[in-house]
Amino acid sequence: MQIPHLLTIVTIGPAVAAGVLGLIPGRYERLHRWLALLASVVLFVVSLFLWTGFNPDVAGFQLVDGPIAWIPQLGINYTLGMDGISLLLVLLTTLLIPVVILASWTSISERVKGFHISLLLLTTGMIGAFLALDLFLFYVFWELMLIPMYFIIGIWGGARRIYAAVKFFIYTMVGSVFMLVAILYLGFFHHQLTGVWSFAYADFLKTAPQLAMGSSILHSPQLLVFLAFALAFAIKVPMFPFHTWLPDAHVEAPTGGSIILAGVLLKLGTYGFLRFNRALFPAAWEACVPLILILAVIGILYGAWVAMVQPDMKKLVAYSSVSHLGFVMLGLAAGTIASTQGAVLQMVNHGLSTGALFLLVGVIYERRHTRLIADYGGIAKVVPIYTGLFLLVTLSSIGLPGLNGFVGEFLILAGSWEKYPAVVVLGALGIIFGAVYMLWMVQRVFWSPFAHEENRDLKDINLREVLAVLPLLVFIVWIGVHPTTFLSPMEAAVRLLLAR
Amino acid sequence: MPTSTDLLALLPELILILSAGIFLLLEAFVPSSRRNIPLLTMVSAALACWARVALPLPGSSFSGMVRIDRVSAFVDVYILAAVLLTAWMAGPFLRRTKTEGGEFYSLLLLAASGAMIMASSTDLLALFLGLELLSIPLYVLNAYFRKTEIGLEAGLKYFVVGAFAAGFVAFGIALLYGAAGSTNMEVIGRTILHGEGSTPLLVVGLAMFVGGMAFKLALVPFHGWAPDVYQGSPTPVTAFLSVVPKGAALVVLLRLAANLDLFHLTGHWVWAAGIIAVASQTLGNIVAIVQRDVKRMLAYSGIAHMGYAMVGVIVGGSDGSAAVLFYLAAYTFMNMGAFAVIALMSENENEPHLISDMAGQGFKRPVAALALTVCMFSLAGVPPFVGFTAKFLVFRSAVNQGLLALAILGVINSLVSAFYYLRVVYMLYMRPLPKREPAFAKSAMLTATAGVAALAVLLIGLFPSPMIRAAQSAAQLFLR
Repeated sequence: MQIPHLLTIVTIGPAVAAGVLGLIPGRYERLHRWLALLASVVLFVVSLFLWTGFNPDVAGFQLVDGPIAWIPQLGINYTLGMDGISLLLVLLTTLLIPVVILASWTSISERVKGFHISLLLLTTGMIGAFLALDLFLFYVFWELMLIPMYFIIGIWGGARRIYAAVKFFIYTMVGSVFMLVAILYLGFFHHQLTGVWSFAYADFLKTAPQLAMGSSILHSPQLLVFLAFALAFAIKVPMFPFHTWLPDAHVEAPTGGSIILAGVLLKLGTYGFLRFNRALFPAAWEACVPLILILAVIGILYGAWVAMVQPDMKKLVAYSSVSHLGFVMLGLAAGTIASTQGAVLQMVNHGLSTGALFLLVGVIYERRHTRLIADYGGIAKVVPIYTGLFLLVTLSSIGLPGLNGFVGEFLILAGSWEKYPAVVVLGALGIIFGAVYMLWMVQRVFWSPFAHEENRDLKDINLREVLAVLPLLVFIVWIGVHPTTFLSPMEAAVRLLLAR
Repeated sequence: MPTSTDLLALLPELILILSAGIFLLLEAFVPSSRRNIPLLTMVSAALACWARVALPLPGSSFSGMVRIDRVSAFVDVYILAAVLLTAWMAGPFLRRTKTEGGEFYSLLLLAASGAMIMASSTDLLALFLGLELLSIPLYVLNAYFRKTEIGLEAGLKYFVVGAFAAGFVAFGIALLYGAAGSTNMEVIGRTILHGEGSTPLLVVGLAMFVGGMAFKLALVPFHGWAPDVYQGSPTPVTAFLSVVPKGAALVVLLRLAANLDLFHLTGHWVWAAGIIAVASQTLGNIVAIVQRDVKRMLAYSGIAHMGYAMVGVIVGGSDGSAAVLFYLAAYTFMNMGAFAVIALMSENENEPHLISDMAGQGFKRPVAALALTVCMFSLAGVPPFVGFTAKFLVFRSAVNQGLLALAILGVINSLVSAFYYLRVVYMLYMRPLPKREPAFAKSAMLTATAGVAALAVLLIGLFPSPMIRAAQSAAQLFLR
């Protein structure tokens, strides 16, 4: 079945739902929760039509909506399109939104209306950024994510939420303003070459690679434009050394905010590298691969080491994100088909596993109002179901064969081996460290001697929370057992992208 | 003698001046009609707007003193929109501060007609008349709260500085006349084109003239008056002051730059104006960060915004001029919306308008707070609001003209500015309500003004195409 304007419906739908919520007075809190949940579930169901309407044999963009003239004077069009890569990331997004709403069901008890409106607007921003095929449009969606996330951290966050929210906002904006100048320059360059004003991705694919590569950075427009884009995305990923906003944002954000942040927002950075830096500036990419590899490896190892010494579970998971995203960057930089596919799959995996980890940390935080590992210990007997789920997600995160994390990491490392064996060896160390810090945390929280009497009456995970985490677990196992389902749709797109 | 076509050309201005006279008489002889004057002001602004849009644009009128063209039409429409919003705001505001009076609206209309004449003049003498017609009513309006100290200070400061600026402008005009033998911009432009280019007399004259305009625009280093005047003036006057004189002065600069081809006349123009633009952005944004009074903060933010707009003036041509025109219109809506919310804030103008007083208002007065938030994000240049589109156009014109440095310095500056705009949002939504509420007053009328302005900020931001088309078609006149 083909639904016309399906991409627009998926993109703008959440914003419309946010508008509807806006009209309902804030005192009907339950109504807001239920309506938001309904909207997000409907969105997920509708987004499944993306999957059914998608033809895996076609490499280019599908279900293209537009171009519709938006600002014709400047050659700016509204164009949405999807290939196998964005398909997976959009589905990840629509899967996570109901999870977030369920996870926030009781933990968000104030300003319920505002939270759900922010979340739905954020959804529009994220999906739009994955689907936009016009760089002006992309930039608008990209920045649109800032405002709701700023509110989510700043209003519903923890003790140091203001600091974290402002840091998040300013950091992201630092990257994106330079990207804006780069986009303007690409438009100008396209006009110089062709005499036509355009900001279309398809047009830039033709003209941007022709930007000159000079001998030094300052005389090389392609390298400068590349770096402007790279800065924006590197901050978002975040790559070492641009990662310092992430632990603050994660620790202070409410559980739902952390899930979205880790699950989707960070992926926009790696997606941007692949979609824009890799495809538009092949020569500059080639020149920068060593740098990206070095930063990726530093990120993998540094993230793992810092995670190891964290006393706070949420902060530990946050630093593990730095490490995991390092793997994704490694796979992208290695640039073979297997490593790139692995990187894209690992984006999804990380969204699922880390999203689930944040959710589960949030579950126990809601009961005890502490996330310190030292405040727990030996609670496996008290909360057996919770322990089992937590262990499963942990194993997925450290890459146990049969679960999703293994497939992604294996593809990345195997794909990179032929080109950069030394890097792979260092990266593989990161997997070992990953197992160490995650399992050590699990051991201290669940199996070490029972230490605190307050934990005696800890309630086990309830039905709502299980329902929230269940969709994630389904995909964690599915990807682990049968990754082809998810690898085959993106294969053609990845091949096309790498062939440029 | 002016012909009837000449008079018809200035019909919108005449409508405003006539209404101003009528309101004064109403105030004197029918005091009971006082309550309706804000509405009548809005009607006459709308009528003038209609006259400008509906009647044909006659071009050069009054023997070449003024030129009613598409640029004038564009500028007049947004000046009149500003008048309309100011009057809408002023009604409830003056009632709350118990200072209602018909003369307020008369002065407002006179100032607006001055700005419109200024933006339409091609002759420097007509321009000077317009400038004075704009400034003198504003001096009175600044000191409208004549019993408060800061009100008097604002009026006096704007008066002294304004007199200085007028002196600069008059002196500049005299020197330009000496250099070119005419006060008509087009004639001056032609003389330069056929003459020896930039002579010292011409350069000094231009510098004086541009300096005088820079006073009105509050550009560095002529910005010192802005914070005190913004703070001391009644809030609706501040709103008017922050957009109308600045818009008129920028359009004067656009006309001057186009007629004299400043971009190519002398290499010094790009450097001098570029330094002024960047210095205004930088100083405005950095000093705004430490302001505690929101009106003072917006004064510094205004300095920075005129710095961005100057980038478009420097680029010139049709591209840069269109960007400036769009910027002015965008800036009008954002600033009007912000000031409409600020007008809710304190009982009398002697009280400071502390940013910290806004704590917790986000959930107490959701509509007003949301409108203010939209305007703040827009001023910071975050999409999808119109402030982003405006900056996009300005920086785009700079990139296309090869002035990449101006674009980069501009975006770095708008990054800095995000910091203080965000603080307002932070106060609104992320701080608890204080026990004693300094609070926003409850006024459906003011909230509606702010809401309409914020809605315009959002809608024009989402669908900027019609306004860009209007600005571009007006700016065709500046084609190099």
